[in-house]
Amino acid sequence: MGARTEFSPQTMWVLAALCEQPSGWQHGYALARQTGLKSGTLYPILIRLADRGLVEACWQEEPVPGRPRRHLYRLTADGFARATAALAEAELARSEVRPGTSPRRGRRGTAPAVS
Amino acid sequence: MSWLGPVAAAAGRVAVRLLPAARRDWAEAVWAEAHDVPAGWPRLAWRTGGVLLIAKEGQMARRIGILLLGAVAAGAAAWGAWPGSAGSLSHGAADQGDVIITLALLACLPLLTRWLLGPPDSRAARRLRACFYAAILAIMPAKAAAEMFVGAVPRGGIDRHTFDLVTQGNPLPGSISGGPDWGGEILILFITACYLAVILALTARRTPVAPATLAVGARAGLVLGLVMYAVDPLGVDQIATNPWLHGSATDPLVALAWVLLFGAPMAAGALAGSRGYVPRHPGQAPTVRAWPGFAAGLVSNGVGALTVTALGISTTALMLKSAWMRGWLYHGQHLTASAVYGRELYASGNVAFYAVICVGFPIIGLIMGLAGAGYASVTGPQPGSGDPGGPPGPGEPEPAPDPPPGGRLTDTGARTALRAG
Repeated sequence: MGARTEFSPQTMWVLAALCEQPSGWQHGYALARQTGLKSGTLYPILIRLADRGLVEACWQEEPVPGRPRRHLYRLTADGFARATAALAEAELARSEVRPGTSPRRGRRGTAPAVS
Repeated sequence: MSWLGPVAAAAGRVAVRLLPAARRDWAEAVWAEAHDVPAGWPRLAWRTGGVLLIAKEGQMARRIGILLLGAVAAGAAAWGAWPGSAGSLSHGAADQGDVIITLALLACLPLLTRWLLGPPDSRAARRLRACFYAAILAIMPAKAAAEMFVGAVPRGGIDRHTFDLVTQGNPLPGSISGGPDWGGEILILFITACYLAVILALTARRTPVAPATLAVGARAGLVLGLVMYAVDPLGVDQIATNPWLHGSATDPLVALAWVLLFGAPMAAGALAGSRGYVPRHPGQAPTVRAWPGFAAGLVSNGVGALTVTALGISTTALMLKSAWMRGWLYHGQHLTASAVYGRELYASGNVAFYAVICVGFPIIGLIMGLAGAGYASVTGPQPGSGDPGGPPGPGEPEPAPDPPPGGRLTDTGARTALRAG
């Protein structure tokens, strides 16, 4: 039985990716590469997180010449607290279910260490 | 294939317009990021995700479903109203024009209103629009069936005698002898256009009518319409009126209908006037209260008129085609075939009278709604009393959060330089 949190597994992957740079802004393509999610899955998740006030978004004001401005994302303070709690809870649940086995995250990579 | 990329990008920018304003940034973000995705299939897959995002966030499936449902309903109504029988040949052109212009109004007026006043932005507004559309589509074939019946003059026999008795020697408009009633058709189309224009304007985003005002008016109007229909299911005529009431002017239901005709818009206007009123400075009360009262009264009696018209004309059309409906209307009465024909003829001839209801009711609604709002301004809380006279409004907006360092928040529009990377 998997860990039950308020977030879906895909959302947890996005939160984990955002938690890696809690104060830094990340763009969608970087998050897609980190999580392995496609744009059609990643962006609806980011929209829901932003609607819930867990993620804030902004437009890059001074774009790199030759490419459009980027839309950037990072966790809010509340989002970071909720994300770390949810990731820790998921980690704990996985270790309780399968003691001695490594947490399984599929092909998406492993969850970052949550301090 | 080098042209495919720019074409897809341009199509994407156009498609972004399908999204609500609050969601457009996200779709534009997908398109912006596509620049960094390796060209070829990966970039195509990325952009496909953007298309899926637009379809999902723009509720395209719902929009397409509603559009299809509307098209099917309009097609069915047009098919039912299109003149095709020998009885309707004399006024076939008028009926065809009626169908075509009504459908054109239904299709074009919302687009015009959207352009001028914006789309509907509440569930009450959307529901009210849908109900008006459904009523107008229901009226179209029912009215055609009644007119077709009136236009089919019996060749002879007792039915011809009854026909002459009912028409008293005057050719009925729309009959073979009377010819098409162009004036009547133009009047009905004008009334239809007015109803659509008013309800589309009242439910548009940039018209300051609160959803609560629409809801209050619609509920009051529905009650009025149902009671009126119970009194006159076959039009306002002493013979054709509800046979259960025997045309009695002292029946409690008839009295209730009269009370509701004037009382429902007044109550709706008073309620809307007191709810939709937030005093800002002394002396503003009358004008501020007048608008919701005006809108609620208009919606109330407009809905009432349309309800009784749609139900009444549909009942008449069903009566002409269904023995079950005749049995329901005249249960317990043993009518000869000639008597049934006479009642059908009276009912079909009464259809035109609903135009009077559709004009008269909203005028009464306007006046009584304003009177209700005036009553609310006299008895309700006065400016400066500290009580806004209704549920608390949204209040002051919360201060916008600080923009991120060097950037602007998507929703606030604050612009600050961001040096990323």
